[in-house]
Parts: sequence; structure tokens; C-alpha cells
Amino acid sequence: MTFKRDAVAVAGYAQSPIVRHFDRTLGAVALDTAKQAITDAGLRVDQIDGFTSSALFPTAGAHAMQDGVSMVTSNWLAEHLGVNPTYVSGFQGVGQLPGSVMLAVNAIASGAATHVLVHRALHNPAGSYHGNPMQEASGSNQWTAPQGFFGPLAMIGMTYNEYLQRYGACRESMAAVLVEARKNGARIPWSYWHDRPLTADEYLAAPLVSEPICRYDADIPVDGVACFVLTSAERARDLPNKPVYVRGFGMGAPTRRRLPLHWPLDDLYEVGTETARRLWTTSGLGPGDLDVPQLYDGFSPFVYFWLEVLGLCPVGEAHRLVKDGGIDSDSRTGLPVLSGGGALGNGRMHGVPQMLECYLQLSGRAGERQREKATVGLACHSSPHFGGAIVYGADV
Amino acid sequence: MPGRPLPVADDLSASFWAAAAEHRLVIARCFRCNELTHPPDLVCPHCHHTDPQFRFEPVSGSGTVCSWTVLHQSFLPGFDDDLPLLLVDVRLDEGDVRLIGRLLGGADAALRAGSRVTVTFEDLAPGVAIPAFALVPEA
Repeated sequence: MTFKRDAVAVAGYAQSPIVRHFDRTLGAVALDTAKQAITDAGLRVDQIDGFTSSALFPTAGAHAMQDGVSMVTSNWLAEHLGVNPTYVSGFQGVGQLPGSVMLAVNAIASGAATHVLVHRALHNPAGSYHGNPMQEASGSNQWTAPQGFFGPLAMIGMTYNEYLQRYGACRESMAAVLVEARKNGARIPWSYWHDRPLTADEYLAAPLVSEPICRYDADIPVDGVACFVLTSAERARDLPNKPVYVRGFGMGAPTRRRLPLHWPLDDLYEVGTETARRLWTTSGLGPGDLDVPQLYDGFSPFVYFWLEVLGLCPVGEAHRLVKDGGIDSDSRTGLPVLSGGGALGNGRMHGVPQMLECYLQLSGRAGERQREKATVGLACHSSPHFGGAIVYGADV
Repeated sequence: MPGRPLPVADDLSASFWAAAAEHRLVIARCFRCNELTHPPDLVCPHCHHTDPQFRFEPVSGSGTVCSWTVLHQSFLPGFDDDLPLLLVDVRLDEGDVRLIGRLLGGADAALRAGSRVTVTFEDLAPGVAIPAFALVPEA
């Protein structure tokens, strides 16, 4: 099995503002963003013949799932753009954005589609995001909800505490992650946190929700849409923007049956290590080759887990690395793992900030934030044992 | 005021909940490969047999704390009076079986990874009890 490196490229993009609540429907914003991305790629709407995405609305609450309102599927987007595409697909797994990108790569490389629109539309409903009035816990919920173990904050609290206990880490070290994410998010005009950095003291003063997780350890729910146009590398070279190639990928799935939302640290490292190995095998690269490693940070401990499984630091050492300034993207020696602000510095955009930062830096379109050397990027999403990542490359 | 959500037994879980109602912890064992599984699944997750004919066997209920979290906010009804709520992630002595439940006796219990616990039960409604844990005093 040999992955076809650099066969498919990102040719353009668009992103809506990231806000707490749009004053229009999510679908209307998605349509406008899609049209902008297609124009940005130097194409017309009628040239888009493929659509891929994940429409997951990542709430534990009892919110209505309504296409065009609380989520946007590829089918909905194509229909409302007036397109009859040759290929439409939705990604079912976790690691929604890398998964959707790989559906597009496969469609293009196989000839099933020529120009594919990959989109992600995230919605913040009115009321509590995860609150659920459940009285009967059936199906998988029966094993944990009656005990009160419910929703992703309890999930990550359990895993993060296992890390703290095992490696003798403390909550204080994580302040460096939040300060870094919010510093970079504050510089980004489209971020929900634009012009609003966070201090370590503010972070440490925040109330705990699910110990050792406080409110700032989780990304803030937002309304936002991002679209990317992918095409073959050959066609991309004739389009206006510098192509950013899909060079490799890695996905993972837990191999042990566990209670719902139970992520033991050993499972995470075991499968995450294999996810990382797949990244290096497909791309022919290693951790030392990454100019723009964008780690997923929907919950702050994911930054530790990705740093360690990727081999950017030894297992159990990420808390020391970040505390010692090791992820300061303004320092010559820091790993710029949150240079795009991540989810903590932008809002709950589910892998978009990571992919967008790779695209902007590698295509030379990052403006004032442009980094000097940016030819290899990595965009991670979700947990290393339950999600995925894409290695992006650009011509030197 | 709505109470806490109650477990709804199904074909796979009926034996587990029937035993729990009598304050007995039972775990599913595959007839073919003899491995324990929790929660039970349609297929044995160890040998992948599609008709595992699980036997629900009593276990000691003794285990080791792998992790814990203290909830200061609940996203479910019926817990607000119990906050802060301490939940423990327990590895049973019988093997790689992990359960999550409340540690009864207060959220400020002196815990460490490796603390020994034993199963106990919370009675939620007539005929409905769920597993929880209690610390075993260190010798």
C-alpha cells in the first residue's frame, strides 16, 4: 500500500466570521461561504462536481438536528447551490475534517469528481450546549448517565486527571497552552477571541467544571463555516493560488470496548502512536520535518497527547515542554503548534483552525502572520486515538 | 423536580440490571473465548463471535482507581443537590474491565491512582440500583 502523495491540492478557501450566534441561518452563511471559496479558487459554481463534509453537531444535548439550521450536509449545500454533483459523501467517523478531506482526495484521485468542495458548518444553539433533560438512559447511555458520567467535559476530566496523576503534572502548566492559543487567536481578525488574549492568572482563577478541567480548557461554542476547494495537483497549478498538497494522512480508532465517553490514557497512547506512524509512513516525513504542526485543542489536554504521540516530545513530558516555553510560536525555538490559535483561540470550529493555518501558511497567504519557513504542515483533529490528521506540503 | 435518569434494561443488559437491583455486580463472560466484557456488546469484542451467549457472572467488586473527576456542574437533571460529585474510573481485579461510578462518602476523599475500592450500590428507585464505589481503608 503506497499513498499517492501530492496528487490532490487545496486550491482555495473561505471562512465566515466566528461568532456566538449568526443573525442569519447557518445554511445561508454556508452557501455564501461556499461561493466565496469557489471564487477564491478561481472557479465557477458550475465547475464544482464533488461535495464532502461531516455534518456532526457535537452536542450531548437534546437539540433538534435540522439540515440547514443546526447542521449543513453536503447534499443540502449542493442542492441549494443548484448543483447536481457527480459525487457527494459524508464522513461518519471522529476526526471529521481530516475524514472529509480524505473523502475529497479519494474522489479526485479516482476520477469520481474534478473539483470538490469540503465544508464544515458549526452551530451554537440557544440555551445549554450539552444540557439534556434525559429521564430514561437507554442504549449506551444506560451504563454511565445514571451515575452522572455524561458529556465531553466529564470524559476529558477523567482522562486529563489520569495524565496528571501518572506524570506528576499540575494544572498550572496548562496555563501556557491557553495563553499561547489566546495570544494567537487575539491576532486573528475572524476569531471569536480577536483582541482578547488570556492571562495565566485569569486561566487559573476560572471555576472548575469537571476537575481538573475549567471552562477555559474547552473551546467556546460558536456559529461558523469554513469551505475549502480541492482539486488535482495538476489542475491546481493552473489556478490562481499556490497549491497546498495533501502529502499524507493518519486516522485511528480505539480497539478496546469501553464505556461510552471513557478514554483511558493507555488506549489513547496505544492507538495514537499508530495514528502517528501512519502519518509518517504515508507522507515519508517525520516529526522533525513539520514547519507548521497544528495540534487539535478542542480540550486543552489534547495538545499534550498530540505532542507526545507525534514524538514532538517524550511521553509524559508535554506538560514540562509547554511550561518551559516550548510551544511559543514567537520564539525561534518554540514549536508553533497553536500558531493558528486553534479551537481555544478561535472557537469550536472542529479542526478548521488547524487546517486553515496550514493552508494559509503553506500557500503564503497568512499576511502579517506569515511564517518564514512554511512548506510542511500538519492539521490534527480530535483525540489521537479517535480522530485523524493530514500532512500538507507545498512546493519549496 | 425531575430525578436522575434511570437505566433502561434491554435484551443485552437485563441480567446486569436485575442483579444490580439485588446489589450484586455481575459481568458478561463470552461462552466461546471466556473473556469478560463490559458493557456487553452484540458481538464479543475479544473473539468477535456473533453469538457470545454471555453468562453474567458475579465478580468480587474489588478494584483499583485509575482516575477520577469531580463534577461541579451536571448536564443531566437530578444531580444538582449532589454537587460536587466525585466519579471514579475503576479497574476491577478480574481483568481489564473498567467501571465508572460515584465514590460515595464525599467529594474530598483522599484519592490517588491505585487507591483500592469496593463496589456498593445507589438505590435510585424501587427495583433500580446502580453500581457505585467506596474506598477501602488503607492498611
